[in-house]
Amino acid sequence: MSSFFEILSPSYLLFPALLGTAIMGLVCPLIGSYLVLRRTVFLGLTLPQIAAAGVSFTFWLQQTGFLPEWGQGERSIGMVGSLVFTFLGMGLLGYLEQRGKGMAEGRLAAAYALAGGLTILFIVFNPAGQVEVLNLLKGEVIALSQGELSLLAIVFGAVFVAVLAFHREFLLISFDRDLAFLLKGRQIIWDVLLYLLAGLIIAIGVILAGPLLIFGFLVLPALAARPLVNRMSSFLILSSVLGLVMAIFGFYSSVRLDLPLGPTDVTLGCCVIFLAYGLSRITPKASAALLILVGLAASSGGCGSRMAEAPVPEAKAIHAEQLWLAKVKNSTALLLQLPATNPLRSLAEMAGKISSDYRPSVMDLMRDSLKTELEQRGFRISLPEEKDSRFAAFPTDVSAAVRIAREGNLSGLTFVGEIQRWEIEAQRFVRVLADFKIIRIDDGAVLWARRIQRAVPTPSATNSGQASTDAVKEIVRDLFAG
Amino acid sequence: MDRFYRTHLDSGGWLKGESLGQDQVIDAIANARAESSTTTTLPLVALEKVSRGYDSAPVLQDASLAIYPGELVGLAGPNGSGKTTLFRTILGLLLSLGGTMSRSCPLANFGYVPQSAALDPQFPLSVGEIVEMGAYGRVRSFEIYPKKEKQLAGEVLDQVGLRHLAKKSFFALSGGQKQRILIARALMVKPKIMILDEPLSGIDEATRHSITDFLIKLTREKNLAVFFSSHDLEMVQRVADKIVRVDKGRVWLEKGKHAL
Repeated sequence: MSSFFEILSPSYLLFPALLGTAIMGLVCPLIGSYLVLRRTVFLGLTLPQIAAAGVSFTFWLQQTGFLPEWGQGERSIGMVGSLVFTFLGMGLLGYLEQRGKGMAEGRLAAAYALAGGLTILFIVFNPAGQVEVLNLLKGEVIALSQGELSLLAIVFGAVFVAVLAFHREFLLISFDRDLAFLLKGRQIIWDVLLYLLAGLIIAIGVILAGPLLIFGFLVLPALAARPLVNRMSSFLILSSVLGLVMAIFGFYSSVRLDLPLGPTDVTLGCCVIFLAYGLSRITPKASAALLILVGLAASSGGCGSRMAEAPVPEAKAIHAEQLWLAKVKNSTALLLQLPATNPLRSLAEMAGKISSDYRPSVMDLMRDSLKTELEQRGFRISLPEEKDSRFAAFPTDVSAAVRIAREGNLSGLTFVGEIQRWEIEAQRFVRVLADFKIIRIDDGAVLWARRIQRAVPTPSATNSGQASTDAVKEIVRDLFAG
Repeated sequence: MDRFYRTHLDSGGWLKGESLGQDQVIDAIANARAESSTTTTLPLVALEKVSRGYDSAPVLQDASLAIYPGELVGLAGPNGSGKTTLFRTILGLLLSLGGTMSRSCPLANFGYVPQSAALDPQFPLSVGEIVEMGAYGRVRSFEIYPKKEKQLAGEVLDQVGLRHLAKKSFFALSGGQKQRILIARALMVKPKIMILDEPLSGIDEATRHSITDFLIKLTREKNLAVFFSSHDLEMVQRVADKIVRVDKGRVWLEKGKHAL
């Protein structure tokens, strides 16, 4: 589990993702502030959904063969769809606005519903890539590559500079159009520029972070900042700061609690809004004191040093040598089989130890590695299935594990492991949630336990099998090194 | 030199707007002088048989009017009679249906005071920020807001007697204070003419007097033209040099130093 300061270190595995989220959290609220003040919040909800429809449409076109395979990766082609749909959607909404037919909210609601429906339909039309498209729409900011981070920094940096440079024009055109006309002439350009900037960050942001996170960053910090300030300059600054806070603490919570980033950030943003409205009802001094208290509480919870986690003990230390190493249980609903090209499988096949139909799994690989390490720690390892072939994997639930062991007439200690999550992210790391325990069968006492819940880096992996293999090695090293 | 702006209808009935060159300005000034039998001063705004309206339905019919520097002109008429339409026409915010209108100064020299209720209280704006907006026409996009404009904002706030509220939220002020702040914003434009839409509605009697006194002072001491509207004819008669009446789209002069 990562401490707060660990995630802020540039050497942290997910630092590029954190940086990307922070950039979005800083810049999106600047545009979102104007959307909120112009009472066009729904535009911030509708445009990301239109962008998402663009992403799924592009993938569907590619799957049907209308678009060629693009060597730059799936996100690049998704980005094109996102940009095209966003600007087309904005153009259409702008045209309907000019025509002035119907309610603005009604048009936006209809556009949102249509975009949401189309997104799902295009995904359904594209069975070959449903999972990939859904993952993209969920937002894979956590797998942000260096190139994507650079693109994000350039686009959002340009938007940031533009908002700073033209903040007076944006304010004037948003607050008092008559005065804007008198002082600057009929400057539709400022309206167009504001919406272009909004479209740009939405189109790029949706493909990199998903529609939910982008909508959250656009609107929630501005809504939270509004009751706390009376000046436009303070409003923009506070919105941006709250967006940044939401991004960093949301990211930390997401990593620490192993939650998806978008929903975590949005939930945190909503909490900040409630807090802001609460603070606005008390005096500024009391607000400041309360904010400091909340900050301290968050820091003490998040910035505390990481608790030392004990490695697997030596056999002598627990006065036992015999250890039943159970099969590692797979609770992920995925097969987690290694591909046929896995070198370990080939070696085993050559040695004639396994049939050519056999496919080793992550669980097999992990148990092999555990066995080697445990033997080096002085344990005499026995495998339950060697005693009785009916033994399956043991759960890490103590009472269930003990019951199975006793029913099979095992005694002494048993080592159990259970994988609950194993997600390979762009072959750069594997998100893992796994539990390991050493249990004394006689009385059910847990002599050692460890939970691995983190993204395990696999920088040198070139395919998913390699990533899994590297991750297993890293986890076992972690278990035995502490 | 100030530019001279003129709009008129061509033979086909289309609205033509033009920014005049130097020779044309001299002609236009000569014409304006010839048209005005009572004064040798160039009118800041002149309307001749102007008809304006919304969606081709006229709200103003054949409105003729001239406003000169230093004049305090009151526009009186019941609610919905077309007062705001006349103002928006003069400011170029509404399209013309017919007639001729000329302005002898650019729109950037028009200090416009809208009804404060027309401004959205959703915006978190301090008094200082509202007043500073008046100079946005002079400050370029990438420029940091100049010190001299900040000083000027302080001075115009002094003029309306509300400098001490500079950091307060604009929308937390009383109706009378808001009107004075909007007048300060209009002064920040460095106007030649000020147009005030119902500046005295919804405020108490004492504040009304202080605002009308201030408007009179502006015309007398700074030679500004002030054109304000009210549905209170009695008050307009008491304050204005010239009274323009508007009702059901018809516009006529009731009393004043200058003839239409």
